[in-house]
Amino acid sequence: MTERGDVIYEVRNLCKRYGAVVALDDASMKLHAGEVVGLVGDNGAGKSTLVKCLSGAHQPTSGQILLDGVEREWSSPHDAIQAGVETLYQDSGLAPHLSVSANVFLGREELKPGILGKMGFLAQKSMDTRAHMDLDRVGIAVPASGRSVAQLSGGQRQAVAIGRAVAWASRVIILDEPTNHLGARQAGEVLHVIQRAKEQGLGVIFISHTLPHVLQVTDRVVVLRLGRVVKDAPTSDFDVDSLLGTITGLITD
Amino acid sequence: MRASTTSMAGVVAVAGVASLLLAACGSSNSSSTVAASSGSGSAAAASCNGKKIAFVMGAESDPFFQAMKVGATDETAKQGAELIWQGDPKEYSPATQIPVVDQVLAQKPDGLVLIPTDPDALQPEVVKAVAAGVVVANVDTHVTDQSQVLTFITGDNADGGAKAADAIATGIGYKDGTKYKVVVGLTSETATTNVARLEGFKAAVAAKYPGIEIVDVAYSQSKPEVANTNVNNWLTKYPDLNGIFAIDGTNGQGAAAALQAKGLTGKVALVGYDAYPDNVKLIKTGVFTALIAQDPATEARQAVDALCTKLSGADTSGIQKAVVIPNVVLDKNTTDADLTKYTYVA
Amino acid sequence: MATTDVKQPSSPVTQVVAPTSRLKSALANQQLLLLIVWLVMVLGFSLKSPIFFSVDVAGNIFADWGPLVLIALGELIVVISAGIDLSVGANVGFSGVIAAFAMKALTTAGVASTPTLLIGVLVCVVVGSLIGLINALLINYAKLVPFIATLVTLGAASGMSLVLTKGAPIMGGPAGGIMLSVPWIGPFSKPVLVVIVVVAVMWAFLHKARFGRYTYAIGSNAFAARAAGIDVKRHIVKIYMLSGFLAGLAGFFFYLRLGGGAPTSGYGMELDAIAAVVIGGAALAGGVGRVSGTVLGALILTTVTSGLIIVGVDPSWKRVVVAVLIAVAATLQALRKSEGGAS
Repeated sequence: MTERGDVIYEVRNLCKRYGAVVALDDASMKLHAGEVVGLVGDNGAGKSTLVKCLSGAHQPTSGQILLDGVEREWSSPHDAIQAGVETLYQDSGLAPHLSVSANVFLGREELKPGILGKMGFLAQKSMDTRAHMDLDRVGIAVPASGRSVAQLSGGQRQAVAIGRAVAWASRVIILDEPTNHLGARQAGEVLHVIQRAKEQGLGVIFISHTLPHVLQVTDRVVVLRLGRVVKDAPTSDFDVDSLLGTITGLITD
Repeated sequence: MRASTTSMAGVVAVAGVASLLLAACGSSNSSSTVAASSGSGSAAAASCNGKKIAFVMGAESDPFFQAMKVGATDETAKQGAELIWQGDPKEYSPATQIPVVDQVLAQKPDGLVLIPTDPDALQPEVVKAVAAGVVVANVDTHVTDQSQVLTFITGDNADGGAKAADAIATGIGYKDGTKYKVVVGLTSETATTNVARLEGFKAAVAAKYPGIEIVDVAYSQSKPEVANTNVNNWLTKYPDLNGIFAIDGTNGQGAAAALQAKGLTGKVALVGYDAYPDNVKLIKTGVFTALIAQDPATEARQAVDALCTKLSGADTSGIQKAVVIPNVVLDKNTTDADLTKYTYVA
Repeated sequence: MATTDVKQPSSPVTQVVAPTSRLKSALANQQLLLLIVWLVMVLGFSLKSPIFFSVDVAGNIFADWGPLVLIALGELIVVISAGIDLSVGANVGFSGVIAAFAMKALTTAGVASTPTLLIGVLVCVVVGSLIGLINALLINYAKLVPFIATLVTLGAASGMSLVLTKGAPIMGGPAGGIMLSVPWIGPFSKPVLVVIVVVAVMWAFLHKARFGRYTYAIGSNAFAARAAGIDVKRHIVKIYMLSGFLAGLAGFFFYLRLGGGAPTSGYGMELDAIAAVVIGGAALAGGVGRVSGTVLGALILTTVTSGLIIVGVDPSWKRVVVAVLIAVAATLQALRKSEGGAS
């Protein structure tokens, strides 16, 4: 187990209401550098809402979000990305018609130097090379960065999506169901990439329904139920049965 | 049949949406009530004092109807009557015209000049009007059963086609024994105005000008640029082309532009239809050899006149059941006064 | 940890999806297929009627191609973004009519030909772009789907054209207008040469610049584009305004050809534009399409028009020919998709 660093990302007393519905009720959690936190809960427990608040897609009704101890307000995903918080949404993170390198650089395109760059022309060669290097660095081997994502297998796509998030994240990476619909071997690869991200000192939030994966890759588990954090404990405290019990509410403290 | 039925029908689909939008800004019907002006008519002619005469048409914004409105306004004023002028601004369809007729009948007019957009669909409206004691006349187009209609006044499209043949023959200096090539630009295969004009044209050519061969026809689908493309390609295909009959305003515009661009003004005779103001100007510059003009103002005047005769209780034996107003040929010999008179107001 | 360890699991997967089908690579080259189709058409028409193979006919074809390819390129970027712009045809007529009024007024006021035409082209593209802006606002803020939003502006623009002109063409602009659309170099008139420059610029911006990258990304996966920090709404505004701008330019092109504006100009032309785009290999579902394909698609359509007239076949057959081309192009698109490839 890697040494835990400082607290890197934190939410305090987060509430989110959609009209009369309370999706998130006074939720607090901390994430340390070089730590993988598992976020689990039943459908409707508030996982997606919490992820959306953390990634800047939604704004909390009340409560605080702190990055490196400084309170932040994300008005859009763009804000969070700028601050080094990358989010990988389940199944829909990539543009299938674009090449691997275009996806890696999406929204952060490198432009040609000089006047051409000012006119918005892309430095495609440089991006292809760098995309290949970046994916390599996080441990993902993609055959050709010029190939379109639609031509990749499901596992490869997911690897590219995670690779992109890890390559760009400077502080925190949020992975929403990254092992969904993957075979055992591909899921293993994804878990390996998470391990690499952690070794680089990133904070990782890992959301999954697949409890064995959670137990395998996380350092700590936060359990949500009905919008509240009901348990926050080291992963070593759980086995699959006790974790499942906590999620469903059969086991309470 | 009306001047440019098809060009209007062509935009019916989009006009529907447009009128919805326009409805937000005001009435979707173009409507105006022109009060009688006492000064313009002599007291003796004012046989219709205080009566209300309504005109209901489709596609009110068409220049053809704008020209008709001039005649209607003028004649009702002369007769001391009040004019109700109403029609959907763009759509030439019974679906939009029937509600307008109902709305007009609610205003209790004494006479109704109906320009039906469909001979069968508007028949019940005529029955309804007559039952309410309204005297009905048809102008331009008519309903199927004419028994309850006082009079039907229209232009003659077949006659227009025949006159166009004469104008082309004059334009190309027709001599027996010489061969001539002529093309016809139409708007659509199905527009009845087009068909009638083309038939009149063909019949006149066959009867009087055997040397003229109609080598091609094509359709513009109401778009001047398509008419322009057709003529451009004809001019390539037939380097010895003698004449073009452009069967309506759209084809006239496209053909006129093609001749000007290729420097063939005056070398290829161009006969157009309908006296749109900008086309009339091109008679002077020699682009159009001639324009066949209808006379919607006269149609309107005669209709008002007939209604007033009937409404005033005067002798109606002079009113003909069907009146055909001949078309007018406008060419470089036409006087400026006549050009002005027959040009449709826009 | 050595990188080679993690590479291992991915390599077998790679082999599974490697493109091996010969059919696929042939299908992928839509541009080559289109070029062959076009050459066969030219050959066929020329054999049937030798006069077809002439600079004069080429001039006619390019005169039609110019405005069509302008609005088809606008349609292309919209289609790549997974939208549709039904308003381009009405936009052509409306912008042409407004510019015709302006140029008539200027000419009547004694302004010289050149400045009048320059103001005319400016009016066309400004009016065109404004219609595009309205489309984008309806899509972004009234939350209308592009089909409905642009159907609304189609109706409004074509209706307003008729209301303003009362159905009649608006002439009386600068005298030399028509003469500008006469072939200048070979079969190319000056406006057509301008269109060729516009095509080159559009190619560069769509295939080599960030504008195109964002357009494809939005059409491919709008959610991913948004998540990547792209301001999708802002880009939608740019896309529809550009489409409107090009339609306005086409409106001016028609003005020059006809020597006036006509309310019915461009009517129904959105369908020709969509046909050119689809024949050119774009997918209405978004994310796919190339400038070269659209350029060839438009060229094929206008070649058919002139060819049928020259050969003496009823031009109504054009619709049938176009229908067949669309069916073939769409089938190829579907085949390519089932082969697992993209663009």
